[in-house]
Amino acid sequence: MNLTKTYAFLITLVASSVGCLAHAADIALYPTGPSQDSAFVRFINGMDENLSVVAGETKAKIALSVNEPASKYYPVGSKAKITGEFSNGKVSSPISLTVKPSEFATVVALANGSNLKQVIVKEQPDDFNALKSSLALYNLSFAGCPSAGLLVVDRAVSLFEKVKDGTLQRRLINPVSLSVQLTCNAKPVGKVLDLGPLQAGQRYSVFAVPAKDSPRIFFAVDTIAR
Amino acid sequence: MSAASLIGLTFLVIGESHMSLPTYLINPLHDDLTKQGAKVFSVGACGASAGDWLIKKTVSCGADRVGNQKGEFKGRDATTTPIAELIAKDKPDVIVVILGDTMASYGKPFPQAWAWENVTNLTKEIASTKTKCIWVGPAWGDDGGRYGNKFGKTESRVQFMSNFLAKNVAPCTYIDSLKFSKPKQWPTLDGQHFTVKGYEEWSNAITQSIVNLPNIQQTKK
Repeated sequence: MNLTKTYAFLITLVASSVGCLAHAADIALYPTGPSQDSAFVRFINGMDENLSVVAGETKAKIALSVNEPASKYYPVGSKAKITGEFSNGKVSSPISLTVKPSEFATVVALANGSNLKQVIVKEQPDDFNALKSSLALYNLSFAGCPSAGLLVVDRAVSLFEKVKDGTLQRRLINPVSLSVQLTCNAKPVGKVLDLGPLQAGQRYSVFAVPAKDSPRIFFAVDTIAR
Repeated sequence: MSAASLIGLTFLVIGESHMSLPTYLINPLHDDLTKQGAKVFSVGACGASAGDWLIKKTVSCGADRVGNQKGEFKGRDATTTPIAELIAKDKPDVIVVILGDTMASYGKPFPQAWAWENVTNLTKEIASTKTKCIWVGPAWGDDGGRYGNKFGKTESRVQFMSNFLAKNVAPCTYIDSLKFSKPKQWPTLDGQHFTVKGYEEWSNAITQSIVNLPNIQQTKK
């Protein structure tokens, strides 16, 4: 390589290096995540009759039947006011709440004599895990069960204990088939509930709500609406 | 690493900015997998999070590379392509997702619910096609780059992000890039994007890990 060719080679090398660096520098500064975390809300029918939820602004209607009492979780704007109403066709109950970033809010409709009442329970989960199942017990049974638990039938294993009224507990469990029974003050009550085979990565909720003789439990998959 | 360990397999590699510029990961990784016998499709999109691979979204830069052809590098006309479309078009045996830095929320509170939803939506979409999946997590950064620490990447947050992905990418198999080097070992340009040497070492480590994965060995049978 003669001197002229050597200079030309060096100039090309330097130019291409500068070009590469300039290209790297030019990469736009993109956000590495949102300015706020997501937030979600869902609606639950804790009564023994069919209900619907009507959204305040869009008037969109969600049916919450006795057999399918849980809506999906809907993404909502953090700190935005969410309005709507529960209705059974005879009486209604207005819904109004705000949800903070990272919160999963659950709005439950319950009977209050011949009227409706509602309970709002919020959680900020940090147990996300695709290898386990996440199960929660919501105790919404009021005076019927001030200290609730959940027993794995046939295994004498307690999944939850001392869940106070109006609160929830959540835990990770292995993705297996389970049948469970509610306990009130550590004593089994009501019917056995078959949860079926739980899936890894899926999130589930068991709700304890008032019923005629003793609190009853039902089960929902915590699905996010897309 | 024996030569041609991936012969007969088609790979689709998608990723964030690390897969989007000529001197970044896209070329050495594409070449290393090809040398192992794989047919490789690579797609990069700067700043794309996991959920952006379910839609078509305009991004600030991106790249495409097919087989032995040269890569096509794009500026502001770059977009993501929904993963279902890429899978239908390229028919990969294995998908490699290189994603972590764009979701780590450097300098901000970590958005767990958003990250969980994003990651889960992508892994479920891939799983619905029964395509094998490998997720490569973020590597250590270095705040001594020529352009400083432009993205605010910190060791504690990248460790947190890696741990989060390790727990949440199943059924994809997780490759922990933090095991490939020590913090600050691979020099960067801007705290996050490596020099050529760093990308070559990262590529080599990823390829070696892929070749040794038991489920990839089974795919070949």
